[in-house]
Amino acid sequence: MSRGLVVAVAGLTALLTGCTAVNTAYIPTARNGRDPFITSGDIREPYQSLGLLQVTRKGVIIFGAIDPAGTDLTAGFQEMLPRVREMGGDGLINVRWQQTQYTALARVFSIFLLGMLPGEVTITGEVVRLRRAGEPARSPSL
Amino acid sequence: MMELRSKRLQGLAARRLLLLAAVVPLVGCSAVVRGQRLSDRPDETSRGVYLSTGGAPRPYQTLGFVQVTGEGRTVAGVVDVGDAGLDGVIRGTLAQEASKLGGDGVIHIEFLDENPQTDYERLQQAAQTVNSLASGHGQVEQRRRTVVVTGEIIKFTQ
Repeated sequence: MSRGLVVAVAGLTALLTGCTAVNTAYIPTARNGRDPFITSGDIREPYQSLGLLQVTRKGVIIFGAIDPAGTDLTAGFQEMLPRVREMGGDGLINVRWQQTQYTALARVFSIFLLGMLPGEVTITGEVVRLRRAGEPARSPSL
Repeated sequence: MMELRSKRLQGLAARRLLLLAAVVPLVGCSAVVRGQRLSDRPDETSRGVYLSTGGAPRPYQTLGFVQVTGEGRTVAGVVDVGDAGLDGVIRGTLAQEASKLGGDGVIHIEFLDENPQTDYERLQQAAQTVNSLASGHGQVEQRRRTVVVTGEIIKFTQ
């Protein structure tokens, strides 16, 4: 296959697939005390702050489709959950996230970059422990 | 003779490190950054500046907005120097700025360590440094680190 034909096919594919990249992470959590909960907002319940947490996963996306290192939102959130537990937390609040995204065009043209694209996902948040009824306040936090 | 053998061993060690450094990116790595606790809710202790990634626990007046960028360097993948630590920026600079404006706290704090290093990257830096020193170039690898923190400075009205 000639180089011109490859470029033509890549261009046609890009035109047909559009220029929007979408990534969704399905991470259903609930405040049932068993698994850590995650929310991008604040919570109404009283809590103790246990600290800030940032997880960044980096790797290489091969041929625009194979992500052996897990650099997408799902992998990032899945890595956060056990770390929240390690810190003794019930959940993560005010979560923010960012993932490297590539359009279909960029993924197709990655073949000219040895089929490799850098991938990265970053999740940040505050680890909290819900305060139980009758639990005394702890020493000053600051 | 001894010197030559020593150089060969150093070169071999550096090559092994570089080989390892070349394989790891396919597996991937994660970098974890942690910061100390902020204020509790409700803040019954009421001492110092109230700091939270969320909202305020009681009515307040907004005094202004702040952004702090802490910069530092990682040397040879081992030593972190400078002010690119989350705690120094938030509990130090951010709280000081709030106090300067007469504020009681900083809310809606957002933070980002812009280039945290994975174990692989630290290993790679160390390998390159060892390789450079072994080959006589004497170049120590350095990497810039940046932490950016933003927040809303408030004064409690009750």
